[in-house]
Amino acid sequence: MISPLIISLISAKVIKTTVVSLLSVVFFFALSAHEISGQKRFSRSYPAGQNVRLELTNRSGTVTVEGWDRQEINISAYLEAPAATLVPQSLSGTIYLNLVKDNQGRAEVGNVNFTIKVPFTSSVDIETRIGNLSVSNIRGSLVRAHITSDGDITLTNIAASAVSAQNGIGDIFFDGEIQSGGNYRFSSVRGSINLRIPFNSSFKLVATAPSTRSIDLGPFNGGNMRLVGDGRRIAGQAGSGEATMNVMNQRGNIAFIRR
Amino acid sequence: MNCQDCQEFISHYIDGELDEVNSSAVSSHLSICDECVGLFDDFSAILANCGQTDLDADALPNPRAMWCRINNVIEAEIEHQPEPEPIKQGLFARGWNLTFSQVGAAVLGIAVISSLLTVVGIRNYFEPTGDDFTTRSKESQTTFEKVLSKVGLIDSPELAREKRVNEQRAVIDYWTQRVQVKRGQWDAKMRDAFDRNVNEIDQAVHEYTRQLETDPNDDLSGEMLDSALNEKMNLLREFAEL
Repeated sequence: MISPLIISLISAKVIKTTVVSLLSVVFFFALSAHEISGQKRFSRSYPAGQNVRLELTNRSGTVTVEGWDRQEINISAYLEAPAATLVPQSLSGTIYLNLVKDNQGRAEVGNVNFTIKVPFTSSVDIETRIGNLSVSNIRGSLVRAHITSDGDITLTNIAASAVSAQNGIGDIFFDGEIQSGGNYRFSSVRGSINLRIPFNSSFKLVATAPSTRSIDLGPFNGGNMRLVGDGRRIAGQAGSGEATMNVMNQRGNIAFIRR
Repeated sequence: MNCQDCQEFISHYIDGELDEVNSSAVSSHLSICDECVGLFDDFSAILANCGQTDLDADALPNPRAMWCRINNVIEAEIEHQPEPEPIKQGLFARGWNLTFSQVGAAVLGIAVISSLLTVVGIRNYFEPTGDDFTTRSKESQTTFEKVLSKVGLIDSPELAREKRVNEQRAVIDYWTQRVQVKRGQWDAKMRDAFDRNVNEIDQAVHEYTRQLETDPNDDLSGEMLDSALNEKMNLLREFAEL
């Protein structure tokens, strides 16, 4: 006959084994669920001065840069599987991220989606091979956004003296001020280029849409603007022509909107 | 004595310098030879004439007096010679003696050139063109450029554009090969995006090429073709880096 003491010991051991097994199963499933979602998160902050510069080259994914009223740069990224290698560098007031260089030769690299906050006086120079780029609330000296192939560029509330937006297939939207003596360049292969600027902006303009001949000057129509090459280009001057603006859309349209 | 011997001794004979033998031989010959007598007469006349000449007239002039006269003449001429003009240097060294009409023509020429330069400057200001010669056409060439291309010092716009396009196509071929090696590593999304963009640019290139075939002087199509080929080069290069 088995004593009650032995019975109680066996029961306790069974319960313990069961609990451990159950916990292992829960942990395994939790881990699997994380890998299935396939995203890793990266976050880092850097102290920054007034004239900090951000230089980011992404392979694929979206990049959103926002200006804020803090003297620091915060980089937050979601890395889809297979996760890209990401090695930010801070040198002489410039934050560098180059995912093309850091992942060169790799067979497959997942999208990396960035959200970056920078002081609003920063200069921003971002590019990607494929994916959307968005920059807002920046009034540093430079804003450059370049997409090699597909992707939209959205620049809002920009007051920089040098702005360049270039993409392949995709739309470009600029909403900002035209600085005196500034240089503005917008170029696309196919898509819509919409520029929302104050009606009293002063700039020399060369706008070319050779395929569609669709150039809507909006508030800048007439005056010192004239058609060139059977309407494929409009050239002229708004106000006293203090800034320079060059807009080219190979197979899409161009439109100016009053801000 | 023959005539030759007689004629050799005849001047000495007249001067009385011969010995008796030769003197009597000359005398004997002269008595029988008319020719030698004629020569004797001529010599004698010359010597007689010389003996009557005025010594003052034939005397050599006083050398000191002569040099003194020459010196006086030179000094007198130097005193009357006008002072030489100062040597001109620089722009007017060659003596720019211009007439009123020449000055007028020069001023008019400068005015015309200035006006032409102003017109060209204004036209360039209001007519933005390509940055380089490759996007130019015959119509937009200056006269100077036309002359230079005629003599073969510079390429014509068509030739320059053709060269430029060939260079760009060579670069595109190079990067296309590089991309072909790499594209096997890309995922489907990346490959699709690349092909879509290349196709879009190729359509634009085709469109501009066709327009240039129709009108080789179409500046804008030339400029757009250049731009589209640059777009393609950059697309290929940036994808080859992946």
